[in-house]
Amino acid sequence: MKRLLEHDNVVGYVYLSPFILGFLIFTLYPILSSFYYSFTGYNLMESPNWIGLENYRTMFLDDEKLIKSLKVTFTYVFASVPLRLGFALFVALLLYRTVSGAGFYRAAYYLPSLIGGSVAVSIMWIQVFGDQGLVNAMLGLIGIHTSMSWIGNPSTSLGTLIALSVWQFGSSMLIFLAGLKNIPQTYYEAASVDGANRFQRFFKVTIPLLSPIMLFNLIMQTISAFMTFTPAYVITRGEGGPLDTTLLYSLYLFRRAFTFFQMGYASAMAWVMLLIIGLITFILFKTSVYWVHYESKGEK
Amino acid sequence: MRRFAFVLALMLLLLAAFGCGGNEPGSSSGPSANTDTGTPASPAPGGNGNGSGNQENITLRFAWWGGQSRHDYTLKMIEMYEKQHPHVKIEPEYAGFDDYWKKLVPQAAANDLPDVIQMSVAYVTEFAERGQLVDLAEYMEQGLLDKSSIPDSYLEIGRHDGKQYQITLGVNALAVIADPQMIEDAGGTVPTEQWTWDDLEELGAKLKAKGKMLTATIDHRNFLNYYLRSKGQSLFSPDGGLGYTDDGLFAEYFTRYKRMYDNGYFLSLDKFAQKKGIPEDDEMVLGNAAFSFSWSNLFVADSALAKRPLDILPPPGPDADQGLYLQSSQGLSVTQNSKHKEEAVKFVNFFINDIEANKIMLGERGVPISSKVQEAIKPLLSPESSKVVDYIARVGEMVTSGNVIDPVGGVEVIKLLNDLAEQIAYNAITPEEAAAKFRKEATAILAKNKS
Repeated sequence: MKRLLEHDNVVGYVYLSPFILGFLIFTLYPILSSFYYSFTGYNLMESPNWIGLENYRTMFLDDEKLIKSLKVTFTYVFASVPLRLGFALFVALLLYRTVSGAGFYRAAYYLPSLIGGSVAVSIMWIQVFGDQGLVNAMLGLIGIHTSMSWIGNPSTSLGTLIALSVWQFGSSMLIFLAGLKNIPQTYYEAASVDGANRFQRFFKVTIPLLSPIMLFNLIMQTISAFMTFTPAYVITRGEGGPLDTTLLYSLYLFRRAFTFFQMGYASAMAWVMLLIIGLITFILFKTSVYWVHYESKGEK
Repeated sequence: MRRFAFVLALMLLLLAAFGCGGNEPGSSSGPSANTDTGTPASPAPGGNGNGSGNQENITLRFAWWGGQSRHDYTLKMIEMYEKQHPHVKIEPEYAGFDDYWKKLVPQAAANDLPDVIQMSVAYVTEFAERGQLVDLAEYMEQGLLDKSSIPDSYLEIGRHDGKQYQITLGVNALAVIADPQMIEDAGGTVPTEQWTWDDLEELGAKLKAKGKMLTATIDHRNFLNYYLRSKGQSLFSPDGGLGYTDDGLFAEYFTRYKRMYDNGYFLSLDKFAQKKGIPEDDEMVLGNAAFSFSWSNLFVADSALAKRPLDILPPPGPDADQGLYLQSSQGLSVTQNSKHKEEAVKFVNFFINDIEANKIMLGERGVPISSKVQEAIKPLLSPESSKVVDYIARVGEMVTSGNVIDPVGGVEVIKLLNDLAEQIAYNAITPEEAAAKFRKEATAILAKNKS
């Protein structure tokens, strides 16, 4: 026994145990419960009753709103993630070169991503895009007079959410900056000695060496975009309107769970989203071999 | 050395377990009105809140919805009760209507509902049928909740399935609040009790010419039901299904609504999406519309905010007397998970029957159901409150039947209704198609919830 207690590993496990306990109790157990609930009808106030695959069947065959919310969510992800990463890369490249005031700009661009997902900013966003908001005021300054509410108009409402997401490009930008700084100058010098112009240097040196970081950002941003909830909830007061154009998947899940008291169905929705995100991440990884260049692995 | 490290680690683990470990029994209840799984409602060590003898200090949680003015005076009433009962501390939790219910459901899931909650007919079946509410009838028998001066018809309003799940705080009825000056300025005549939907549309045209709206919007849950009732049917039926058979009526109501919306008599939906749903935000209060399609008990708050004389009218007819019904503006319920049910009931009794308390409330939540209280506050009522009391009395004379309360699944059906209404306004669907769609989907929702 004494020898057991003095074994290095045991001490290690003891140190780990608060985290492991926390993980088991607060993460693993709820995940498994939710999997169980997805096969039941559970209205929170009575105990769950088993209904097998009924929830899943309803989801795919009988629920227009679910399909609509999937469409909205996919549109949101496929629009906001590339735009966001595009801006992040672009601004990172600019800040990489500029010397004066770069520190200030870095901080200024990073700030929105720190506070962006919060309730306060979402409330502010209503003011910015509302019918008497900042955007309309500024358009008025350049002569375009409109009293449209960008948030209330079905054709532009999702756009305001995408704009909110893109505005928070700062965190990705910082990661790109770090990646850019990691590229040894010698490569650029070698390239220009070989006669490469700016574009060629960019596409042949910068992009490949940045590609692992691009993959990282792409995957992280895609996953988090699928799970967006707070901005949509606050801006549309939980309605997902107008005409369900901002009914993100997580918002619909919330409604099923907490407005209609259908926990079982909501759990099934959560697992489907897990599968979707898992599938997309898998695809991203598999296709990454074609465009991501890892220095340590050498040339293909 | 290793042993020392091991012991140290063990101590840290123990500390962490106590520090991070969930709810500690006996700790005082934390700040109320949070949405994570709650701390226990009251920390009374062993006490069960008996009224007699040596009284333990207990804490009751009380939750309600409303606008700022209601919050202010309710807090005053709470202070009054605490002074009279020094061993009771009441923790208030309040919010706007939508947010209130979004908070309450997770609390119900965690068995952490406040002891006393304000209840609405829209939700009473959902909570009652899931065992969350106490049947107040036994407390009324014991006399803890004094029903001696309350007519049974008012008690009936809070009953579901024969049990007294809520006690009505006040009676109210659908009403249209009007700005007579604005109507006259537009060249119209102020409507009388006999006005009709056609009259409303005519006024709409006149108001539009002066740049004013009829109203921000018409709440479909209430007014479609009203319209169906005025034609002898109803939105829901007592057995938990839809209560009307003629889809043509649905189409008629929405055809007229669409016509008025297209003519610009209402606030456009994109602007309406930004509204917060409180009286301060209403278009009539702000002076942009002549009417507000609302409830009688909101007349007082609206008048105070609008700062100009307003009238209260029954909704347009024909057959308003068939359409109208008396209902519980809101009620109070005691929750099953309350650890101090008797004290909670005493507090409810205070709200319903205490004359001094009602002198503060003055019927803002609806005309009080106790006749003693009604008599006592009459001389104190402002002209606006008196108008409401008179209106309710008048409606009481007119009504021919009670209203069916929303069945379980009602919330989902209403959401469907509002979605279809939005689609109609945006020209995505015709009223006739919407009528058929509503019938099909609502019936499915209600059937699913009945089983």
